[in-house]
Amino acid sequence: MGVSIVPTLRVLKPLGLMAVVGFVGLVFGYWANAAFFPGTAPTQPINFSHRIHAGDFEIECMYCHTQARRSTSAGIPAVSKCVGCHENVATERPQIRLLMEYWENKEPIPWIKVHDLPDFVYFPHKRHVQAGVECQTCHGPVETMDVVSRMAPTEMGLCLTCHKEHQVEFGLDCLTCHK
Amino acid sequence: MSSIDRRDFLKLVGAGGVGTGAGFMLAESIKHPVEYLIPYPVPPEDFSPGIATYYNSVCSMCSAGCGITVRTREGRAKKIEGNPAHPVSQGRLCALGQAGLQALYNPDRLTSPLLRAGDRESGAWIPTTWEDGLSQVAERLGALRSSGQGNRIGFLSEGVGGHLGTLIERFMAELGSGRLLHHDFAHPQTLYAAVNRLFGEDHLPYYDLGNTRYLLSFGADYLGNWISPVHHGLGFGNSRQGREDVRGRFVQIEPRMSLSGAAADEWIPASPGTEGILALGLANHIVSEGGYQGADRDAWAVALEPYSSAAVSEQTGVPAATVMRLADTFADTQPSLAIGGGAAGNHSNGVDTLVAVNALNYLVGNLGAEGGLIFNPEPVVGQAPSSRHASYSAMLELAADARQGNIEVLILNQTNPVFTLPAAAEFKAALADIPLIVSLSSFMDETTAMADIILPSHTYLESWGDDFPEPGVGFSVGAVSQPVVSPLYNTRATGDIVLGLAQALGLGDALPWASMEVYLQESWREIHARGAAEGEAEAESFEAFWAAVLQAGVWGENTRREVGSITIASDVVDSIGVEPPEFAGDSNGYPFILHPYVSNVLHDGQGANLPWMQELPDPMTSVVYGSWVELNPTTAERLGLAEGDVVEIESPQGRVAAPVYVYPAIMPDVVAMPIGQGHTEYGRYAKNRGANPIEILSPQIEPVTGGLAWSATRVRLIPTGRRVDLLKTGGVSRELGREIVQTTGSGASAGETAGLHSIPITVVPT
Repeated sequence: MGVSIVPTLRVLKPLGLMAVVGFVGLVFGYWANAAFFPGTAPTQPINFSHRIHAGDFEIECMYCHTQARRSTSAGIPAVSKCVGCHENVATERPQIRLLMEYWENKEPIPWIKVHDLPDFVYFPHKRHVQAGVECQTCHGPVETMDVVSRMAPTEMGLCLTCHKEHQVEFGLDCLTCHK
Repeated sequence: MSSIDRRDFLKLVGAGGVGTGAGFMLAESIKHPVEYLIPYPVPPEDFSPGIATYYNSVCSMCSAGCGITVRTREGRAKKIEGNPAHPVSQGRLCALGQAGLQALYNPDRLTSPLLRAGDRESGAWIPTTWEDGLSQVAERLGALRSSGQGNRIGFLSEGVGGHLGTLIERFMAELGSGRLLHHDFAHPQTLYAAVNRLFGEDHLPYYDLGNTRYLLSFGADYLGNWISPVHHGLGFGNSRQGREDVRGRFVQIEPRMSLSGAAADEWIPASPGTEGILALGLANHIVSEGGYQGADRDAWAVALEPYSSAAVSEQTGVPAATVMRLADTFADTQPSLAIGGGAAGNHSNGVDTLVAVNALNYLVGNLGAEGGLIFNPEPVVGQAPSSRHASYSAMLELAADARQGNIEVLILNQTNPVFTLPAAAEFKAALADIPLIVSLSSFMDETTAMADIILPSHTYLESWGDDFPEPGVGFSVGAVSQPVVSPLYNTRATGDIVLGLAQALGLGDALPWASMEVYLQESWREIHARGAAEGEAEAESFEAFWAAVLQAGVWGENTRREVGSITIASDVVDSIGVEPPEFAGDSNGYPFILHPYVSNVLHDGQGANLPWMQELPDPMTSVVYGSWVELNPTTAERLGLAEGDVVEIESPQGRVAAPVYVYPAIMPDVVAMPIGQGHTEYGRYAKNRGANPIEILSPQIEPVTGGLAWSATRVRLIPTGRRVDLLKTGGVSRELGREIVQTTGSGASAGETAGLHSIPITVVPT
């Protein structure tokens, strides 16, 4: 009495075809997401343009991000900082009106983080700024961007390449960044 | 492949679609979650993201009043340490103080005012607004006040001093109620009574451990939990190692070795409740050897006559030679210091015991001396918080009044008598007869669970308040407790709740302040004026003074109180004597004496909802997360019990179950249990864990204070046959030849304690 697997295969054949088509779909879907929805340039609550502020008007980065040279985090300007100028500047533009709405309600503007590091990485802005690293090294040419997008993947390779290149003291120690 | 018909085609399209969707979602799911950068609308002056801001404040995890420095970042409290400028803590802080963060961030905090929805204790609550909660309470209070029945309102609080204390005093006076009581399990009420009888003082003196050369501690676990453990720890360190050429010696007299006993040079077990008799034995020897030369030495000799070394030795179980040696060393080593408290102060003879202990200081001239007993100046604010303390008898009266319907409204402030009173008090049943119970607790503890309306308080890290350490440190000290973070939830500071009630009642004339902060500032103007009167402030403005006090976290006056020569009244001398302790239950049926002790980490149970405290090993046994009962190895062997065997500990009042821990440093007829576990409420970390030995305490009363003699209960042990693995960090208690702990047994103490299987104590000659 012989046992044949042919009948079983015959039943499975259409299923196998479906699996192949499904898998191709999976790969396509993944690619489509990564290619068209990378999330590296999120839509912000206000269309703030770094090109106008940092590029055209050449406002120093640290005029707004005041803490970069003093603190681990660069700091996002308080709403009052924006209003300081925009009480008088370009007051009629719709985006500035939007800003003043936040200000009048005394609400913070929920900016979306573009560059983010995981919690297990210790990255002090102040060390890098004080060592003379240009902001653009990691953040890209922000002064040319209307919408800020993430230039480089902020992963360990980026840190180590730079630390090696500049022969940073203890720059390759695990505990320098993971502490 | 033959042909694809319409159905197959649709199936394939479906498969492709599902696959594409799944792929898209897969890519989406491994992306970083969106994070936001939320700026302040207007940044606070002293704030920059990523840089810590430090605030000085006062710890409220126990009543010692340590100054603290809290590190905050981005408006969140991150770490608590001692404030180096504060004389109580001097930069140090205990584990419970460190865990204050977990009170702040506790997931079981009460987050808004609550109204009871179902039956009492059904656990059903409806959140409400502050306006509604306050007006509901104010309505009831107002009705009683206007009909002249203010005394039917009770206010039961934890021990509160400072200006919150005076605020509540004023509030209750305005309501026309004298029923303002403070209740703390570990309150040293017998020590207050003893100090009052001997020296006529209403306040505890400052025991200068740091400068003493020889300390006799009768039952006071001063390093673990007695009165101000952080400060005593500093004193201990200074006495041992802080001075050139002098190394303080410490003797601990107690039936079960505590943390202080382990740190002492000599540990002497005396039968429970006979510590005072031992003290009088020492006094007898000092007086009869001519160590006391006061005019009334004959009166002392007469009063102390029954306490010869031989007689004392028989009653206490301490050899006569040791009694004489201790007495001689105590008298000859100046300055020396005798302190008493803990279990020794909570027997049926508690006050007499502590009178005897403190009389030793008088006899050898330690009063007012550096390294001795220093009297504190008059308190800066109001009366001593001890004056409102409700003894066990006072709590029974309150319960009786409640049963008779004499109490209409009871307001509870951060006190948990259902947990800290024995079952014999039947306090919970009495609460059921009170028509309206209002709790200001931050947590759902056993007593708050009985409430009708909960108006939850801030934690101390969110509130304004102040603290004047009681007992003080020999000079006037105060500190302002300032909020270090914005309130996390819809809660209010206790002071603001009281002021809110006053406002709703229309008591604006008597309590006109808009908030606790305003009240504090107004009150501290008087303290500012004190300094100005003494000419020290150089016309500094109040605003500058206030800012300086907040910034430094402490205010003080460098004034020692001068006391002339102190004589003890002759009737006090004549009445000196300590009766043998009385225990409930007969020694045949209940062969063991239960030694409950306040846990170093859980305090009287209020630390049990802090996970750090739960996982912190007990310093002597290294047990975590639970209760245990300590047995001497000989006792355990006789009963056939080993570590982990669950036994029921039964007193005439009931029974609790706990696993055995075999502990060599406890007397064979004593069993010890830590207090603090065994909660039935109080949040996820505390609930249903371990057993509460307070539950089974006999209602034995200390007659002078009316307090509960909580170390005077006899128990028996009933094996259950069950076994558990005791969770502990320690391995075996033997050295196994590793020579980890090197000891030199002194001839005297090794011989004396050999019968107890005790750990040899290192004795370093002075």
